[in-house]
Amino acid sequence: MSKADHGGRGCPFGPSRRSVLLGLGAGGIGAMAAQAGTAAAPQVNDAPDASAEAAARRVPYLGRHQAGIVTPRPEAGLVAAFDVVAFSPDEVERMLKTLTERIAFLTQGGEVPGRDPRLPPADSGMLGPVVSPDSLTVTVGLGRSFFDGRDWLSGLAPVHLARMAEFPNDALDPAMCHGDLSIQFCAGLPDTNIHALRDIVKSLSEFLVLRWTMEGSVPPVVPAPSGETQSARNFLGFRDGSANPDSNDAAAMDRLVWTHAAGEPGWAQGGSYQAVRLIRNFVERWDRSALAEQEAIFGRRKVSGAPLDGGEAATERDVPDYAADPDGLATPLDSHIRRANPRSKGSEANLILRRPFNYSRGVSANGQLDQGLLFICYQADLEAGFITVQTRLNGEPLEEYLKPFGGGYFFVLPGIRDAGDHLGATLLDAVRHA
Amino acid sequence: MTGNFLKTTVLAAGLAGWGLSALAASPSLELVAPLADYKIYVAENTAQLVADTTGLVDAIKAGDVEGAKALFAATRTSYEKIEPIAELFADLDVSIDARADDYEKGEADPAFTGFHRIEYGLWVEGSTDGIQDYADGLLADVTDLDSRIAALTFPPDAVVGGAAALMEEVAATKISGEEDRYSRTDLWDFDANFAGAKEIYELLKPLLAEGDSAFTAKVDGNFGTVEEVLAKYRTEDGGFASYEELSGSDRALLSAKVNTLAEDLSTLEAKLGLG
Ligand code: HEM
Repeated sequence: MSKADHGGRGCPFGPSRRSVLLGLGAGGIGAMAAQAGTAAAPQVNDAPDASAEAAARRVPYLGRHQAGIVTPRPEAGLVAAFDVVAFSPDEVERMLKTLTERIAFLTQGGEVPGRDPRLPPADSGMLGPVVSPDSLTVTVGLGRSFFDGRDWLSGLAPVHLARMAEFPNDALDPAMCHGDLSIQFCAGLPDTNIHALRDIVKSLSEFLVLRWTMEGSVPPVVPAPSGETQSARNFLGFRDGSANPDSNDAAAMDRLVWTHAAGEPGWAQGGSYQAVRLIRNFVERWDRSALAEQEAIFGRRKVSGAPLDGGEAATERDVPDYAADPDGLATPLDSHIRRANPRSKGSEANLILRRPFNYSRGVSANGQLDQGLLFICYQADLEAGFITVQTRLNGEPLEEYLKPFGGGYFFVLPGIRDAGDHLGATLLDAVRHA
Repeated sequence: MTGNFLKTTVLAAGLAGWGLSALAASPSLELVAPLADYKIYVAENTAQLVADTTGLVDAIKAGDVEGAKALFAATRTSYEKIEPIAELFADLDVSIDARADDYEKGEADPAFTGFHRIEYGLWVEGSTDGIQDYADGLLADVTDLDSRIAALTFPPDAVVGGAAALMEEVAATKISGEEDRYSRTDLWDFDANFAGAKEIYELLKPLLAEGDSAFTAKVDGNFGTVEEVLAKYRTEDGGFASYEELSGSDRALLSAKVNTLAEDLSTLEAKLGLG
């Protein structure tokens, strides 16, 4: 992974005092430091060192598919769901064009335009006068209510797009569910996501009303001595992502992630279904449960992430052999991974691409930590993907430590093909040529 | 009506009370006329507020809970209309219009007074017994406010900025229905707030450069949408339905429009050469 180079190399827009004093700056700057004479230890008001290379990293925003799905998952994620108050095709087009323009700027970075100082500035200024891309991706999806709320879209909704239904273990908070439109922001730093969200809220105040947001993070992981990357851990202390399909395998992604079924509307080809679930973890209780029980609940070793049927040297990449363990003696039949993916005949049709973040947001009314998973997954077919997998998970022992309370289903629009294109163009074409 | 009398006396008093030097230093003497008109608007509303509050207080004194409830929302409207400039009488704004959550002890806090304490008495306690003193206090406060207006200096930036500031306040602390939480009469307040902000905008509109027609068309359109949405909730007697009737989609629409109005009106000061 790309996280190892987060060592300080100074920022191009003004090397921090710390990097100067540590002699990490360019030669000339080092000389300045020598001149300053009173070389002091790094101190409280020095900004933490940023990596110029990480700040400048761009993820292309153009392509057949939107970025933020099969592109690498950076440290910080944020999902925001909105109500949309654009009602005519023209208004919706104006909204999607403005959104596309903002995405182009925010993800590729650049200088913020100046303005008459008597006016409010064009930008929040959070990232300074030059916005660094910082691997930002902005991924836009539409909810069922967006289609249902507009007569002229009738017959055009993706066939599996539904309002998220309540599963048996859920306790849904209406204030944290659903939405006409979702935006997933992913970037190296949470500030980059927050800046992008504020830009969009400001630029699209006419059309978008926030319903809910959730922020999360993924801890960077130092690659193993072998150079092999390892999955990050979630807040239950387990590696999360081990058995995810390979997002670099384009053929697999075409099959599993990108919508392609003949029964789907033509405009939706190349989009993807997004399931977002806000799932609280009862971490105090989890931390008081036995290690052996934790491992049986997931079906994996806590330290290595290896499946339970492997030997001492097994790694998280090893594949469990359920055919050799029909009674679940090694990997319990009701363990999370065995329920989620029984690896039986036909179950490969239910594979999903998970891209979650851990969240932590204060304290519950009962004085317990409110932490958990901002679960996000993508699939070509919501029914065969998330809904089938979650249905198999219903009643799993892990539920004792979980409480899903929010989220929603959205359909991620096909990509912005080129600089002249905009989000949702195929949908609007379908409306106008219906 | 008292309108004409007010127009002349307030105008005279008002011009004397203004920091003319401040205006002279500002780029537009053109603001004098709209500010004078606005002052008259405020004075008419504070006069109305005293009259209506007197009626409300009479009902409370008479122990008439239902009568007082019926007068509550309408009495507030003239206060909500002048809220854009509430910062000019911030001390009274606290005692007249603060909410329980401005106090650590909430409704039980002795410092919690004014309209919302009375609202709490009428709707939650269901009695006028505990609010006699608050009623007296409210009448004293609004009378004080009314008597202050003539001599009050209206700084141009406070008035011009007040329209945007009120939209910000509606967006941040009213649209969710938290203001009139006991009586659910929030839509009355929304209507008055929009009317009060629009009054300022309309008075200033002639001063906006001709080239700003796209701006004025957008602002006009957004005020128009808000009025259309609220009109759906008007009742036959000229009042408004309960906040609980407001549909989720209309609430989202109001929220988007009020945020966009705040966004656009925040440029008014610069457009008029203030700031
Ligand atoms: C807070 C809730 C959850 C936690 C803590 C959690 C944790 C984990 C862990 C630790 C693994 C094993 C490592 C891996 O392959 O990534 C895993 C696997 C998996 N989880 Fe979850 N998960 C949660 C919710 C869900 C949900 C809601 C779904 C979908 C409905 C899901 C679907 C899967 C799938 C498909 C696998 C891979 C199974 C395999 O192919 O072997 N998980 N999860």
